[in-house]
This record gives sequence, structure tokens and C-alpha cells, in this order.
Amino acid sequence: MEIRNILILAGKETRESLRNRWFVLYTVSFSVLAVLILSIAPGRNEITGISGYGRTAASLINLVLLFVPLIALITGSISISGERENGTLQYLLSHPVTKAEVFVGKFSGILVPICFSISLGFGLAGIGVALRGGSGDAAEFVLTALLSGLLAASLLSVGFVVSVYSGRASKAIGVAVFLWLLIIVLGDLGIMGTAVAMDLGIKQVFALALLNPAEVFKIASVLVLSPRFEILGPVGVYAVRTFGREGVIFILLSVMALWTIIPFVYAFITFSILRREES
Amino acid sequence: MIEIKNVTKSFGKLKAVDSASFRVEKGQAVSLLGTNGAGKSTLIKCILGLLDYTGDITVGGLRVKDHPKEAKSLIGYLPQEPLFYDMRTLDIVRFFARLRKVDEGRSISVLDKVGLAEHSSKYASELSGGMRQRLSFAIALLSEPTFLILDEPTSNLDAHARAEFLGLIKDYKENGKTVIFSSHRLDEVDYLADRAVLMKDGRVVMDEEPHALRQKLGLGTKMNIAVPDEYAALAASVLAGAGIIVHGRNGRGFLVEVKGGDSLHPLRELMSRDIPVLGFSVEEPTMENILEGAGRDGN
Repeated sequence: MEIRNILILAGKETRESLRNRWFVLYTVSFSVLAVLILSIAPGRNEITGISGYGRTAASLINLVLLFVPLIALITGSISISGERENGTLQYLLSHPVTKAEVFVGKFSGILVPICFSISLGFGLAGIGVALRGGSGDAAEFVLTALLSGLLAASLLSVGFVVSVYSGRASKAIGVAVFLWLLIIVLGDLGIMGTAVAMDLGIKQVFALALLNPAEVFKIASVLVLSPRFEILGPVGVYAVRTFGREGVIFILLSVMALWTIIPFVYAFITFSILRREES
Repeated sequence: MIEIKNVTKSFGKLKAVDSASFRVEKGQAVSLLGTNGAGKSTLIKCILGLLDYTGDITVGGLRVKDHPKEAKSLIGYLPQEPLFYDMRTLDIVRFFARLRKVDEGRSISVLDKVGLAEHSSKYASELSGGMRQRLSFAIALLSEPTFLILDEPTSNLDAHARAEFLGLIKDYKENGKTVIFSSHRLDEVDYLADRAVLMKDGRVVMDEEPHALRQKLGLGTKMNIAVPDEYAALAASVLAGAGIIVHGRNGRGFLVEVKGGDSLHPLRELMSRDIPVLGFSVEEPTMENILEGAGRDGN
């Protein structure tokens, strides 16, 4: 793999994303809502003990959970399937580039603008907090933004798995939206339902939560922001008492990293080695 | 040199290319001739390393299976239906220039060469079919590749654009470059090719120089020649006397068949006897005629 080619391909992908009207709409919506959240989330929350930067970041978690997985899954799912459908992938591969370079270039070229829009939303909200006096820990605010980037990377990887198996962009988008519903909308309900139906213990419920990258992000963000881990309920209390706060955060970060690496490697191998042909 | 040795490519039970073998020497122009589904495009995709195959292909001494990227860097490729990212024309060429490690300044000169310089700020979606074909040709020329592979380069062009485009390819060939192009038009083969490789059902059924192919297959060019009424009888006897097959008369016109590709032969005969020619049209053999001929030839 030539780094030079990856950078050229990533640059093209980033420029195309920034020109894409849906991506612009997403970025503007996320940023506007982030600023709105800042304006309606003043002061200190007595239950969580979070204030200032932390209070704003906590409010942004729900916005991140709604927006970031959706854009990451959809852009990931159409990244390769879209080019395959319109014939540009085969033309691109007729030039001196490898499929591995195309894959890595596309992934990084899409991740960069998603991270840019997350940074913009968090950045605007952060500036707002600073203008209001900036109470709380700014480092936790930044860490939440980084966790959001990690969430984007993990779901972009999942989107790429969908993409390498799809010959048509419309089909890929359908699967991506279904996955988004499964992960975000049905995530909590699924864990609760499974726990009740199968009479699971706290340990198993914690393990079950680790299977959903959005749940992992949510728990990790709350632990980063709040000194009161009790707000996570019995499962949070169990996890913190068993592994310690830092230990749980380390486990959650590792799980999010695995959620990025495993689908990425799987999609990469499928695209560049197992499905070598683009006919 | 491009060498294709016993190449077979199957899609399920269908053999799209079946034990194809031939070589293209440096500086030669070779046409892959055949109907749709004959295996021409599949073979081209094998040469470009886009498809897996059995057998062996070397491009400029590089085995495509072992060095696909290096082999592709020697090739300029023009697909049958050029498809581009929706970017400005110049940005598309610059993007591929960077990928091919070519000075970006060359982007303007290749666009100029194919007559697209004035359209460089247009988006690809705003270009006509002929312009997109020329854009694809400009990209193929970017790195001044040793080999040029063109998949039915004129299939989507009107007569004027086709003539222009063939001229561009001819210029390139005359600069000593090696060209492989697929076609189902014998006139293009006559104009550009040193050799014609005839493919049928994935197999190479003939590999000949164009005039030898015409002779072997007994292919004639049909011509409609119009002469004034008062010269009609004389014209008929002159043509018959020159050994030209006259298929029939229609008013002032004669339908004649010329063997061996010398289409001007009947016209020369008539004019040597001072018989005025009011007009003429040429009908090249169709791909069906060619394949019928190949069948008669025992292939």
C-alpha cells in the first residue's frame, strides 16, 4: 500500500463529502442543535452533579447518539456500493491503485468530515460555555467529543461491511437504516427485553450492553462526565465496583476500539482479498 | 509487448473467454473483433487485472497476476462507457494525474489535445457522450502510456465524433505506441489495425492482418454507385468486364460487391472509361457476415 495514493483518495473523498448537500445539512443541523442545547441546559444538574462543560457535554450525548450513528452508517454503506453501482469503482481500479488503497483511502476520507462536523458542534457549544464563564472540566468535554469520534469510526466500519456486500446503494442504505434502528432505537429495549425474558444477572446484562457500540459510548460518556456512577443503575454500580471507574472506562474504550477494528478488518479482507474482482 | 497465453475466464458455467492466446508486439495496433458477448471486454478486464483468470498475461514483461499495479501503470484504458465522479473536468484529470504520478500541469495539455480545454470548468455530468469519451481518452493519455487499451471506443459516438476520435487514436498509433482496441466495425479495423483478432464465444477464431482477414473470409464491401441513365448499359458491361460482381440495378444505381477491401476499384474502372459517377455509398460487411465467413473458413 502506498500512503501517497491513500492520501490522494482520502482527499477526494473528503472534498466530495464536504460538497454533498446531505452532509452539509447534517453538519448544520448538528451544530445548530448543539448550540440550542447549550442555551437550554444552563447551570448545575443536582442529580448527576455535572455543570458547565460537563452539563453541556452530557446534553450532547443524546444528540450524538441520534446523529452520528446515522450519518456514519449511511455514508459507510454507500461508500463502495455507490461507486460499484455507478461504475466508477471499476474505472478507478483500472488505474495503478490497489483495492486496499481504495478501501483505506475511502474510510479515512469519510471519517475526517464526520469528525469535522462533530468537532464543529462540540466546538461551538464549547465556545458558548466558555463565554458563559466555563465552569466544570473542559478536558471531560473534549473526551466526550473524542468518544463521539470513536463512535463514528466504529459505525463507519459497520457501514463499510454493509457496503462491500452490496451492489446497489439503495439496498445498502436500507440495511444501514435498519441497523441504526436496531442499535439506537431498539438498543435499550433489546437489552431490557432480553434481560427480563432470559432472567439475566447483572454480569450478563453488562456483557450484553458491550455488544452494542452505542450503549458502550453512552456508558463511557456518563462515566467520564459524572462522578456519580450510580446514575447508571445497578449494572453501572456492579461494573464500577468490580473493575473500578478507570477500569470500566478502559474496558469500554477497548470495546469501542474493537467495534472499529473488527468490522474494518473484516470489510477490508472481504473487499480487497476475498472479493478481488469488480466485474 | 502484451502476451496473452491460454487465458480462460468463466462466470459460473459460462466461459466468457476460452483459452485465448495471442501477442501484440510493440508499436502494433491490434483489434479485438467480435459481436457483443464474444469476450472482448472480459479479456480487456483480465489484461487490466480487474478479473481473475487462468492462463497468463504479461504487459511489458510484467506478469499481471504478480504485478497488477505496475502493469496498470503502463496502460492507458478507455472503457466502453466512461463514467466519472461528478467533479469539474479539470479536477477529474488532475485527480488521475496525481494517482499516476504525472505532473498536474499536464492535465491542461491533454485536455487541449483532445479538444476539451474550453470545457475544463464543466462538471462531468454536463458533458456530452462524445466529450466524456474524449475526457476518458485524455486521462488515458496522461502518463503517455506504452500501451493503450480501448474498449469499443466509438460505440456511443455519432459519425462526426467517431471520425474525430479515430483520428486521435491514429495519431497516437503513429507515434509508435501499442494499441489494443475492441470493435465490431470492419472499417475501423481497416483504418487503425495492423492485425485483427476475431473472437467468437470467448475463443480466438482468427488472428490475421485486416486485408488477409477479408480475403480469407471472402468478405466483400458492397457499394451503391449511381450513373446517368444513358451510361447505365456501358457501366454494367465495364464493371462486369473488370470482374466486379454486380448484384443488381435500381434505377440509376448499381449494387456491386468489391472483394479485398479496395472500395475504389469500381469507381476507378468507371472513371477510366469516362463514365460520370453521380454518387456512391459504401456498405461494410456486418459482424454477422464476418462470423458467417469465419464459420465457412472452418473455425
